[in-house]
Amino acid sequence: MPSISINIILAFTAALLGMLMFRSHMMSSLLCLEGMMLSMFILSTLIILNMQFTTSFIMPILLLVFAACEAAIGLALLVTVSNIYGLDHIQNLNLLQC
Amino acid sequence: MVYAIFLLSIILVLSFMSFSSKPSPIYGGVGLIISGAVGCSIIMGFGVSFMGLMVFLIYLGGMLVVFGYTTAMATEEYPETWGSSIVIWGALLSGILMELLLMVWLLEHDGMEVAVGFNKLESWIMFMDKGFSIIREDSLGVSALYNYVNWFMVAAGWALFVSVLIVIEVIRGK
Repeated sequence: MPSISINIILAFTAALLGMLMFRSHMMSSLLCLEGMMLSMFILSTLIILNMQFTTSFIMPILLLVFAACEAAIGLALLVTVSNIYGLDHIQNLNLLQC
Repeated sequence: MVYAIFLLSIILVLSFMSFSSKPSPIYGGVGLIISGAVGCSIIMGFGVSFMGLMVFLIYLGGMLVVFGYTTAMATEEYPETWGSSIVIWGALLSGILMELLLMVWLLEHDGMEVAVGFNKLESWIMFMDKGFSIIREDSLGVSALYNYVNWFMVAAGWALFVSVLIVIEVIRGK
């Protein structure tokens, strides 16, 4: 079990590094954010199963639901940028306004 | 097949590397779908089928479909794949190399002690009272949402409704 946990923590760290380093698209950072949410869901589910904290199963479900909300709002911002500039490149965000 | 779930977790890390090396978002979405499916398999390997169903329904079926449509809308004509740029190739290879080195270190040197001992595949044992019964932990735990935290459920539903309004306002712009 701990060697499975260390793999999932490594996956979370890889997605975190991927989110913090910009390349050309804003969309890939949002995808890395979703990867972080998925790895947190898996890790918390496995730990809750192992420790038999049955009531704490609420936490991964709520994490998933609010991550869906957050993804929707992030996508709305991306669509706004894409409507004005045509693409969602990071270099378009240099004016602090749309 | 004692090492089945351990191998699945290695495949999870490799598919996380495939979208963390940041190719074009379409290929990143493919990598995220694969990692969602592998993550669901890891959870199902422990027996909780309800949580695996949540991953497939809400995560893959809800969020990634929306990501796919938005990527199709806001993408370019020649998307860059994993082999097209030396940056992506280097990031992917260094991620895979890091994972392989970690696994070799775990398996050869009989564990790893950072702050906690990340040894082999043993589980944690909980000492509880006497007596036992058969319970389905996952559905029992999630049904506590409607039982012990009623008001939180109402507040979360209100927060989701307000987030729909936020999305509409952001899209509307000026």
